[in-house]
Formats: sequence, structure tokens, C-alpha cells
Amino acid sequence: MAHFVYPAASPAQPTAAYPAAQAAYVAAAPQAAYATATPRAGLTYEAYPAAHATPQYAYATRTQVAVTPAVTYDQTKTYYQPAQATAYTAAETHYQAAKPVYSTGTAYNTAQRQATQPKAQALQVTTSGTTYVYGTAAAPAVTTYPQTNYTATTTTQAAGYETALYTAATSYYQQQQAAKVTGAQWIAKKPGGPFKPKPKGPPKQPQLHYCDVCKISCAGPQTYREHLEGQKHKKKEQATKGVAAPAARGGHNQLRCELCDVTCTGADAYAAHIRGAKHTKVMKLHTKLGKPIPSTDPVIVANSSASTTTTAKVTTGTSVTSAKVVKPPVVAGVKKVLAAPKITFVGGTQLKTTGTKAEEVKVQPMKTDPTPAVTITSVEKAMSDDGDKFNILGEKDVAPVGHEYIEEVKNEIGKVVSFNCKLCECKFNDPNAKEMHLKGRRHRLQYKKKVDPNLLVEVKPSIRARKVQEEKLRRQAQKEEFWQRRVQEERWRDEMRMEEEMYWEHQRRYEMMEYFEWHRMGGPPGMMPPRFPGPMGPGPMMRRPDTSDDRHVMAKHTSIYPTEAELQAVQSIVSSCERGLKLVSDFLAESDAPKTSEPVKKPEPAKKEVKAKVPAKAEPKKPAEVKKETEVKDVKEETKKKEEAPPAPRVLKGVMRVGVLAKGLLLHGDLNVHLVVLCSEKPTRTMLERVADGLGKQLATSEDKYEIRRCVEEAAIIVTSDKEPKTSCIITLTSPVMRESADREGETVSVKDPPDVLDRQKCLDALAALRHAKWFQARANGLPSCVIVIRILRDLCQRVPTWTPLEEWAMELLAEKCVSSGGGLGPGDSLRRTFECIASGILLPGGPGLYDPCEKEPTDAAASLTNQQREEITASAQHALRLIAFRQIHKVLGMDPLPPPRFQRQRFNPRKRRRTTSAGGDADGDVAGEKKDKKDEGEAGMDTGDN
Amino acid sequence: MRGHMRMGPPHIRPGMPFRSFIPHIPFDLVQCESAFPKARPVPDEKAFTEALLKRNNDLTPNAVEQASILALVTKMQSILDNLVIVPGSFDAAQLEEVRQVGSFKKGTMMASCNIADIVVMFKTLPTKEAVAALGNKVLEELKVQDPNEVLSMLTNDTGFEISSADASVKCLVATIPPNLKKLDPALHMDGKVMHGHLAAVRHARWFEENAVHSSIKVLIRLLRDLRMRFEGLQPLTPWIIDLLSHFAVMNNPSRQPLAINCAFKRCLQLLAAGFFLPGSVGITDPCEQGTVRIHTVMTLEQQDQVCYTAQTLLRVLSHGGYKQILGMEGNASDISGIATEMSVWEGVVVTPSDRAYEKPVQKEGEDVDGEGADDEVMETADTA
Repeated sequence: MAHFVYPAASPAQPTAAYPAAQAAYVAAAPQAAYATATPRAGLTYEAYPAAHATPQYAYATRTQVAVTPAVTYDQTKTYYQPAQATAYTAAETHYQAAKPVYSTGTAYNTAQRQATQPKAQALQVTTSGTTYVYGTAAAPAVTTYPQTNYTATTTTQAAGYETALYTAATSYYQQQQAAKVTGAQWIAKKPGGPFKPKPKGPPKQPQLHYCDVCKISCAGPQTYREHLEGQKHKKKEQATKGVAAPAARGGHNQLRCELCDVTCTGADAYAAHIRGAKHTKVMKLHTKLGKPIPSTDPVIVANSSASTTTTAKVTTGTSVTSAKVVKPPVVAGVKKVLAAPKITFVGGTQLKTTGTKAEEVKVQPMKTDPTPAVTITSVEKAMSDDGDKFNILGEKDVAPVGHEYIEEVKNEIGKVVSFNCKLCECKFNDPNAKEMHLKGRRHRLQYKKKVDPNLLVEVKPSIRARKVQEEKLRRQAQKEEFWQRRVQEERWRDEMRMEEEMYWEHQRRYEMMEYFEWHRMGGPPGMMPPRFPGPMGPGPMMRRPDTSDDRHVMAKHTSIYPTEAELQAVQSIVSSCERGLKLVSDFLAESDAPKTSEPVKKPEPAKKEVKAKVPAKAEPKKPAEVKKETEVKDVKEETKKKEEAPPAPRVLKGVMRVGVLAKGLLLHGDLNVHLVVLCSEKPTRTMLERVADGLGKQLATSEDKYEIRRCVEEAAIIVTSDKEPKTSCIITLTSPVMRESADREGETVSVKDPPDVLDRQKCLDALAALRHAKWFQARANGLPSCVIVIRILRDLCQRVPTWTPLEEWAMELLAEKCVSSGGGLGPGDSLRRTFECIASGILLPGGPGLYDPCEKEPTDAAASLTNQQREEITASAQHALRLIAFRQIHKVLGMDPLPPPRFQRQRFNPRKRRRTTSAGGDADGDVAGEKKDKKDEGEAGMDTGDN
Repeated sequence: MRGHMRMGPPHIRPGMPFRSFIPHIPFDLVQCESAFPKARPVPDEKAFTEALLKRNNDLTPNAVEQASILALVTKMQSILDNLVIVPGSFDAAQLEEVRQVGSFKKGTMMASCNIADIVVMFKTLPTKEAVAALGNKVLEELKVQDPNEVLSMLTNDTGFEISSADASVKCLVATIPPNLKKLDPALHMDGKVMHGHLAAVRHARWFEENAVHSSIKVLIRLLRDLRMRFEGLQPLTPWIIDLLSHFAVMNNPSRQPLAINCAFKRCLQLLAAGFFLPGSVGITDPCEQGTVRIHTVMTLEQQDQVCYTAQTLLRVLSHGGYKQILGMEGNASDISGIATEMSVWEGVVVTPSDRAYEKPVQKEGEDVDGEGADDEVMETADTA
């Protein structure tokens, strides 16, 4: 692990890039990298500031180098050689493939040395005033030389990796490219070498003032200088330097004449150029100069940046593979590279992004300059574009049409001087132009319009479409850049694992925990839990807006809901009775204790629970919940009892609320509530007496005065309170044993009933009530708006004689079935649905009946209704339904057929006001909205018009 | 007028203060049968089913009628087809297409109502003269084919009608949609009528694709008969009856056609449960763009009327009055007696339902009216 020594040993500022480079090597040895993942992380963290410092460093070198190129050379040398050493010493075994590359790298260095020295000479040459190629090249060369140096070195590195990682195919490709594109250029310079000494001596042939940038020759030095200072030349020069060289029309593939450095939009244009005077002139000139003439085959150019990158890349190839060649090639390469040196670099790195090793190297330049990301995309794009260059040519290949409409204009001698297209009413002097015109889109369109409507004219994307396309490309590039950055950042984060990061993570977790804690505790009412960091979805479900029906139903519901005083009164009598019964139970158990001492204790805790719960529930509105608890206990008790039947338990096993009290269906004026006392054996008259006596004694001790009546035929004790509002509580004695005997009744009456057993039917009813209460709590209580509908219907049943025969249990069942099958309706719709159900004849003879879930056999809960009653209830529901549909729900809900005006105003006014205001708002919003719309449209129209 | 307003594109509001209209889905026993397990033995409905089938038999045109209408339709179809193919022989108008529509096409013809419908689509603008010329042309051709047959041709607002002794064919004139905008009420046929004829073509096509099950056809015939005999059901249009029958037979959880007795009863149950009342989702017209609830072609008063008539009939049916409902008993003069007058069935007094819809008071006329059946339509009209 020698390489770990390096960063520590050389942390010096001048070689800031060094650790990064070293890191690259580390990465190059995968085993080592993986084996030392954690220490590496630490290292890179250290390297981080160094990497940050890199830009300055790069600039520093640049400026330095500008002054003394030798320094650069030295630096590169020091920079490189240790690196190589590291590579070899640290991971010699892993570097079999890389080895040759590095040797090339050294070779390059030497080449550099060679190159630098002549360069200096070249500079001198320039100053001496000789007007030769180098004269022009000199100015840029001096300033950009270090740049080149910098780029070239790194590229070498990159290329080295490339060669190591990629197959020969890549280099082959590059060489091909080199031969194709810049090959010509550096060959063009090569003969320049031999000529170079010549400027020193007197030139033999007439001096040529040739501008390499503009590819022209000037008659004399004066003109040449003028040309060099001219606008045209400057522009061209700029163009060669700048990334966007020739103003290529976006997205279109173009053909380029290498010789004249001219791009043509199509094959025809290219052909015309080749045939043209300018090209011929340049060709002649080049022949005269002895410059090589590139083949006339067009070079296809996707777009400007692509052209530069290709060249740049090629240069890399050249410098790597043939770095030892004499300086001119290098210079030539340099010349091309200046355009965008960084592109080369990044392009080179980009090629091997697959190799993790390269990435560390990449990070550094990425930080120095954000542009590479863009360039990468353009390179990629260029490559992809290269793929479809041929179909562009194919596309252009259309047969010329409408020859017969071309008029030849002749001069007096009879020589054709110009052409006139009759279709398009335009003239050309050049036969080439004529050919092109015949193939052109405009001509074809005219032809289609005037001659043959069946002619196919390719659809040219409109300006707008093209703009959209460009926009799309731009966005894509941006997106890619964004991702690039994201990836980068991610990697940074991965590598850094900073404590800060950890800290934040910790903090966040802490917040989360706090939040969940809140949730777990339920949060105190009326207080908001701390905001949970992160996106919160919208409400759980879309609520249907409150309809007028809903409002009516809710208003009605409020009016029938019991008052607070009533609830209090009911609550107090119920709790008194429950407490009293508990004490009676204790008393009875005690008095029976000699017989059954053992199990007495057993039900005790359950009872206590009941007692404890009763005072605990402060709000009387939800007696049901508490009730449930009690019941559950009792059920358990019951089952327990059944298991251990022989040891007789206490006589009074428990007390339960049933009916409206248990179901929470109390209405305004409902002051009679029901309790059921479960006994362990069949309740008898004697037992009733005993309980009543005991209860009387217990209740006498309480602060409120209660009157107790025995009602043997009802199997009940009725407790009434004197206080206003007068409440009463009916306590029914029953026992599960009653039901069992009922089942067996048919066969035998073997069970020895006590002689004074209470009325069986009453006891069974009480048991059924118990089951109903349980069912209700399980099914109806949870359903939204079900309880409301049932309360409304209860009120209806109490109010309207037609509905009175409908038993509460049947009604509850019906409402529950309707609401549950409706799927989350509001109160208004739930009520409507219930009426719809009855209106569709559910109660009529022939209907399915109301299946009672609390009975073993299929039982119709509404069996007691006569056919006439069914008919009337149905008819009434049908009418009610139509009243609701026609917005007269108040008639259904109100007591009177003609509701009193007070009621009506209450019902109507809020609705009406609301309606009108909302309608007003509606209209306003609408008008505004429409106006806005129109405006928008207008603007859009103008937009398109502008386009 | 109402119908036409609804045809317009739905007004989309950009603002928020619009209270969205969410239709109410009425109770349908068949759809939620699982919530209502049978608690009572299912009554025997064999007699009822037989009565339904017998009634259907009575309502179906007999073989002679069918033959005569078929003959006439075939002849006319071929004549008109010829005019489509060879336009040269008739220069008053050019025909685009000829299509059979209506109950003849659907196979839901009623006895003693031997009328078939053919839609003739004009390529040219349908002037009244052109329609008359076409009628005469067809009549001539028919007479050429069979000189002895007694035929008559009458033009009317919808086109023309050619009648033989025991059958008649209505030629309903329409035109290609681009022409509909160019119509001049003074010269041409009424545009709205032609819209209707185009809709009839769509309906025939929909029916062919969706409602070929014979239970549906039987039910359609029975309901049409019901509509004819009970005045309260008059507002139901043939198209509503088609869709309702299809819904009642096919739209159930198992997607298997229901038995005819169940389907017939279900129709009454649906109507009684306010299927076609304001606010109800009803049935969305499959042949119109957007969501058009078919029952909105009826006025509020008519919706109430249909509903309460069906409610009364349902109760009568439940108390065993199917023969009266089907019109197999009771004299012809008292056709709708059971729906409007009190009747006694096995000791149960059935009182007919009364209307619940009240004409809005003049003062708050628009208000209440706007809250009626078509919230969205009315609001659109208000703001348009």
C-alpha cells in the first residue's frame, strides 16, 4: 500500500493536483481501492480542498507558462515522472496494460521538449519579420501554448487510460478520424518545415502572401497586412477560435469543403461550390503553394461544436500515437485544439466513464469549469448525429421537376446568360443555381400548386416547430447537465461522509421521532402536532360538497338531538342504577356466600371495572363506548361461566345498557332508558323482589330521590326520578339460560323451572336487545351518517303515524344496509337512499325482507308488519323520495305538512342566501375568468402572429 | 329547446366557485343484493312470468304483418340504394346513405303498429321540394314494380311516408353533418328534426351492437305497451325505454341477462326508486358526447309523473295485480285506472301516489327552477 504514502508525503501546494492524480492511480488498482475503502474515503476528504484549489493552480501555471514555457515543461515533468513511479511501484502487477501507455506519456514529454524549443525559435522568427505561416500562427500560439500543454498532458493521461481500457478499435477509429480530418492539416504543415529555413534566405519563387485562416493569397505584403487587420479576417479568426465556428444552421447536417473551409447546406450546394470560381481559385493557389489538396469528397458536419471536438479528439490521437514526430504536427494540433481545449480533455475522460478509476481525475476538472458537462453532451450528440448523416444526403436526392418552365435568356450572340423560372418568377445566371432551384422546395411547392397537385413536397418544419425542437434540445441538454451535477454531488457526498452530514441526519431522525411520539400519544385535543417535515398529501378523500339536503338533515338532527340537561339526567339515573345494582349484586353474593364461597371473587374484577368506568366517562354523549367495555367483560364472563358451569357464580352477573341508550340514539324527549341485568340462573319473581328491595335500599342512600316500581309481568324493575326532567330506567332481568330452554322447548320441558319464573318472552326480548346493541355498536356506529339517518328515521317513526308500525330494530337494520351499501354518502344522500330503498318495495310483499343478523334462522326483522302497513309505509317513502328530489325535504323532515313560517324561514333563508351569494360569486368569477381566458387567447394569438 | 341547449359543448369554468354536481346513485336492489339476503321465501312468480311472455306474444306483430312490412321495406330500401349508387337517375337531390332505424330495425315492432323507419341521408341540402320529389320518385318506382298495389305517399315535417294497405314506411330525411350548418329554415327541413334522425342512426347502431339479447327486446315491447296504456308513463321516449330495458336486463353484478320477470319488476323498482328523478345519475346516453343523462329530456313535472306512476304500479304489482298492469284484465276504457284511482288487492288498499313536484312560485321562479333537475344546464344557460 505504498500509494498511501504519497498524499501524505506531497501535500505541497504547487503540486496540488498531484493527490488527485494519485487518487486516480489508486482507483486504477481496483483491489487496493476496495480493500481500503474507508481509509480512502478519509484521504479523498483531505484531497477535497486540494481539488478546490486546483483552478487557481491551473491558472497560475498558465500565466507562468505564458512567460516562460520552460517552466511548464519542467513542471509537467515533475508532475509526471513521480506519478509514473508511483504507478509502477505501487501497483506494478496491475499495470500491465497501462504500462505502454505511460511510456507513451513519457514519449510525449520528450516530444514536448522538442516541440517547445522550436517554438521559441518560431517566436523569434516572427519577430524577425518574416511573413510566413508561423507569423500568423505565432500570436495565438504564444498565449495558448501553456493551455495546450496543460490539456495535452492531461489528455495523454486520459488517452492512456483509454488505451488501457478500450480495445484497439477506439484508437483505430481515432486514427481514421485523424487521417480524415486533421491529417490533411498537419500534412499541410509538414512541407512547411522544409520551407522554413527558406525565409531566412531570399525566396526563390515570388513571395506568396497566403492567409491560412482565410485561405487566400494576397498580392503583396501591404494587402496582406491590410487583410490581416480587416474585419473579415478577424471574424474568421474568431470563428476558428470560438467554439461555434461557422454559423451553422441549427440541427441541419452540412457538407463542408475542407479546402476552402466552407460549409454547404446540401449536396447540390456543395457541388456548386466545387464547381465554383472560389474553390477553383483556392485549389489553384494551393497547388501553387504545393499544399496538399484534400479530396473533394465532402466532410459531413453535424454542427459546429462537433467539428471542433472531432478535430480535438483526433489531435489527442495524433499526439499520443505519433508524438515523436517533428514539431509542426504538434503545432498544427495545437492550432486546432485552441478552439476548445477543455473539450478534448473532457471528451477523453468521458469516453471511459465506465471505468471507475478515471472518475477521480475527472472530478477535479469538473470543479474547475462547469462547461464540460455541456460539451460532453454536444460531443455525444455529434456522434449520434454522425450516424444519420447519410440519410440527409438521401433526403436531398429529389428529382428536379418542371424543366419545361425554365426559360433560357440569351444575349445577342445566342449565349445563354440567364434562366428564368416561369413558375416562381425568378432568375438565375448560373446553371448550377438553376439545377438547385429545380430541386428546391420553393419551386416544388409552386409546381405542386400550379401544375401537379399530386407532387410530394417534403414537409419543412415551420419556424415555430424548429424553435420548439431547439428548445427541446436545449432543455434536454440542461437536464443532462443537471443530472451530471446530481451524480457528481452524490458522489461527493458518498465520498465525503462528512460529520456535518451525519449531524443533519441525526437531527432529522430526532424530529421524526418527536413527531411519531406525538402521534402515539394522540396529541392533546385542540393542539396541532408539530409539523412533519416532508410532503403531506391532500386530505384523505374528497368530500362531496354539502348539499341543501345535507344541511336540512343536519339542522333537523340538531333539533332532535337531546339537550345537555336531558343527557345529564339520563346519565345520572343510569349510573345510580348501575352502582346500585352492583352493590346489590355484592350483597346477594355475600348472602349466598356460604354456598359458593370460591367463585365469588371471580367476577369481582370485572364488576369493579364496570364501576370504575362509569364515573370515569365524563361526557355522556358516548355512553356506547363504555357500554361496550362492560359488555365485552360480560361476554367473557358468560363464556367463562359456561366452561365452569358447576360452581354457581353470583346471582347477578352484570348489568348492561340496551336500546337507544346503548346505541346512542337518544332523541330529544327520550327519557326512558333500558338496562338489562344478566342473571346466572333463570330470573324468578323472588329474585326480582330481592333485587328490587336491595336496589331500593342502595338508591335511598344516594343524593337523588328515586322511586322504584316492580313490574313482574314485564320482568322488570322501573326506577323513576322525581327530578326534572323526569327520567325513568327500566331494569329487566334475564338470563342466557332462558334462550337455551327456548331452543329445547319443543322436545321436552325437562329443565326444572322454578315455579315463579318470569315471563319468558320478556326475558328473550331483553336478550335480543342485548344482541342488537352489540350489533349496532359493531356495524352502525362506525358508519358515517348512519346514526344520523337512524335518528332522523326514529323521529319520523315517532311523528308520522304511518311509520309507527315500523319497529326500531327493523328500521335500524334497513338504514344500516342502505347506508353501508351506498358507499360513503353524506347525510342527505343517505337519507334519500333509505327512502329509495323503501320506495323500491323492499318492505312490500314479495320483497326479500329484512334479514336479521342477530337471529340464528333467517328472520325477517319487519315480519310483524301487515301488508297494509307495508303498503302505506312504502307509499309514504315514495312520496318522501320525490319530495326530496324536488327540493322539499323540509316537508319530509318537518312535523307538519305545512311547516310553520318560522321553520320555513329557517330552512329557506340560509339556503336562499347562500344560493344567491354563491350564484353571484359564480357569475362574477365566471365573467372574470372568461375575460381572462379571452385575454390569454388574444395574447396567444399575437404570439403566433409574431412568429 | 331544452334538448338543444344541452347539445352545446359543456361550459368549462376556469374559476373555482363552481359547485360541482355529483349525481346521486339511486338505490338498486339488484346491485346490492348481497346487503339484502333473503329473509323470506321467494314467492312463486311462474304465473307472472307466463303472463309476461303471453303478453309479449300478443304484442308481437303476426307473421302476415311482418311479411308485408318486410316486403315494403325491402322494396324501398333497394330503390333508395339504387339512387345512392346511380345518382344520375334522380337529379333533385343526391343521396349519401340509406339506413333502417327504429323498432323495425331493432326487432321491437309492436302489433298493430306496422310502421318501419328508414333514414335517408342527403348529400345535397334537403329542400322540401327535393324531399317531395324523392317521395314521388320512390312511389313511382314502387308502382313500376307492382302496378296493382295501392300505395300512398304523404310528405310531412320529418320526410315522407309511404303506406300500403297494412304497412307503412316512414322515410326520415337527414343530411350529412357539414350541411347542417347551412340550413335555412325557410327552404330546408328542420335542422333539429334532422339531428334527431342522425341520432336515430346512432341508436340503431348502438342497439345492434349492445342490445341484441331477446330478453331486452321482450322487455322493450312490454314497457312500450305499458307506456301506451298508462298515461303517466307517456314521457318515456322509445330511446329511454331501450336504454332502461338494456340496463335492467344486463346491468347486474353477474353481467348475465336477468330473467324477464325480474327485469320487468326491476324496471318498475328503478323508476320507483327515483332513477329518473332530478339529481339521480340515471343512464348516461351512450350515443351522445359528454355525459348526457337521458332522463333530462323530460321536464321536471314529467319526471315526477313517471316516477309516481311507476311507484303506484310497483305497489299494485307487489300486491298481485300483474294482470291489470299487463292489461290482460279490465276493460279497455279503464286503461289507466289502477294508476290513478284507489284499488283494493286482497284486502290491501292501494292509494295511488300523488305528485310531489310543485310549480315554482312566480316570485322565486328562476331560483327554484334553477335548482331543479339540471343544475349544470341551468347554470350554463344563466351564464352563457
